[in-house]
Amino acid sequence: MRVGIIPQQSGGSYKFTIYLLASLGLLIATLPVIIIALMSFSAAETTSFPPQAYSLRWYIKMFELFQPNGENSDASLQIALLTSLKVAALVMLIASVVCVPLAYVLVRSGGRLKNGMELLFTLPLVFPLVILGIAFLLIAESLDLELGIWRLVIPHVALVLPFVLRNCVGAMSSIDIELEQAAISLGASPLRAGVDIVVPLMKPGIIAGLVFALIISFNEFTITYFMYTVDVTTLPIWMYSRTVSSLDPSTLAISFVIVLIDLALILLIDKLLAGRNSLL
Amino acid sequence: MNLHLEIDAVSKSFGHVSALEDIHVNVERGSFVCLLGPSGCGKTTLLRIIAGFERQSSGHLRLNGKDISTVAPHRRNFGMVFQSLALFPHMNVAQNIAYGLKLRGIKGAKQRERVDELLHVISLPEIADRPVSALSGGQRQRVAIARALAVQPEVFLLDEPLSALDAKLRDNMQIELRQLQQQFGVTTVLVTHDQTEAMMLADQLVVLDRGRVQQCAPPSEVYRKPASAFVADFLGSANIVQAKANAHGSHELFGQVIQLKNKSSQSHSVELALRAEDIQLKASDVNDIEANGEIIMLRDLGPSMEAIVKFEGNQIRVRSNDPELRLLELGRQVSLQFDPNRCIEFA
Repeated sequence: MRVGIIPQQSGGSYKFTIYLLASLGLLIATLPVIIIALMSFSAAETTSFPPQAYSLRWYIKMFELFQPNGENSDASLQIALLTSLKVAALVMLIASVVCVPLAYVLVRSGGRLKNGMELLFTLPLVFPLVILGIAFLLIAESLDLELGIWRLVIPHVALVLPFVLRNCVGAMSSIDIELEQAAISLGASPLRAGVDIVVPLMKPGIIAGLVFALIISFNEFTITYFMYTVDVTTLPIWMYSRTVSSLDPSTLAISFVIVLIDLALILLIDKLLAGRNSLL
Repeated sequence: MNLHLEIDAVSKSFGHVSALEDIHVNVERGSFVCLLGPSGCGKTTLLRIIAGFERQSSGHLRLNGKDISTVAPHRRNFGMVFQSLALFPHMNVAQNIAYGLKLRGIKGAKQRERVDELLHVISLPEIADRPVSALSGGQRQRVAIARALAVQPEVFLLDEPLSALDAKLRDNMQIELRQLQQQFGVTTVLVTHDQTEAMMLADQLVVLDRGRVQQCAPPSEVYRKPASAFVADFLGSANIVQAKANAHGSHELFGQVIQLKNKSSQSHSVELALRAEDIQLKASDVNDIEANGEIIMLRDLGPSMEAIVKFEGNQIRVRSNDPELRLLELGRQVSLQFDPNRCIEFA
């Protein structure tokens, strides 16, 4: 249900204040994206703002960078993108394997345990990312193991767990225990009831959590900056190294494409979470 | 006598709180048993113990003479209808009914046939493909019942399934439920706090209060011969009154001499139950000595009138369809009259 916050009939100055603050907030939040979008369509060789003329040249350049064996193709970019996707996929897999059963146990055991555990899993959110990065680097170095891609996967899992767990707990909380018991009374073992009843009903929450995980892992920079190696580099690190000396407008094109994909994913989450009520 | 389910000395406590104490109930094959009592009496706990969702602290459950006290709930083959109905929201009606069949390896045409059969039994053959969210309250009810009966359960358990329906629909569903139960001949245990529902459905009533069985008998017997003041009051709102012993070795109630059958309590005052419809009011002159009751409330129930009469500090409920009662007004002095044979003594 939507409730009109702004009075429709009266309250002129009240209305004005709300609109003013809302547009100010929106402007601050979207300004970076707007600038990147404008500059990515620039026709100029340099990244001056505002652009004098517009073109798609940097998008064409971007496609060339991604081409497998083209003249302008960049193998390091392709590997970085692939690594980013691999890391995100593994992070999503691990997070769901951990969070779905954990959410079940937390909700069904109820009360204090649930609140305590949720708080514990939220801790990575309040640590400064730089400190987390240093900590994970120290751990990785002291382990003296060839971790490969797992040097990135493990810290990313720690980062996304609160988001995935929270969404799973939210979805789980709305599942009446009588639904499970109904399945059991009809002859389903508790495990079977979980697979047939609980998981399908949790699905919107699980997917929403995993989309968060995908976005966070794919865009993560700070911790990854401490952990990356020459062999294991992600797309944000590649973009940073590409722009740190001189700003390459094709990275702006890449950025804008990523923003658009993120936006689509956020809309998907919104739809999933809004749809949860109608499921019951 | 064909004993089906036997609840033998079942007790349950949560920590130090005792929810059920020494419950004995014998359920005959094909009979309809109602567990009746006020909220907190332990009736739902007892049903959940029968279903296997709670484990009794002591005592045994036997099914066909076999001890099932420790059998897991999904191996008991007891169909259950929950208070929330618990229809699976991500499945349509047919999938809900078929779920138990699927678990039993009944597939394809045979499964469809059985689902169709049940949809016909609940007279809703056209709703098979509908999502459960599109059903009305009564339809959900029927689907939940069909889902539980589809698996041909040993025992059919219902936990206040009709409490969420409005009065008219509830009445219809009670009739339907009773017909279905007889048609399937399935042994049924239903939990309710509604005494009319219990009276109308049950072959056998189990009246519970504070974790103990107060009485276990057919409804007519529970109504006519309540075993305790609690049962008399809970079923049919009887007046619980004190008959005083008089000098002649008999008792007096409302100024009328009565002979009690129970000889052991000759010299004390005795607790009796007297139903509201078994008392008549007689308006009397101001000087009448026996007229020491005063009407303090009158209400029209439609087919009958109800009066509350203050008599020696007690409030006595009187119900009658006698037109004369309509002529009385508040504050009127009245005498209370009754047939002594209608007094209910407790053992």
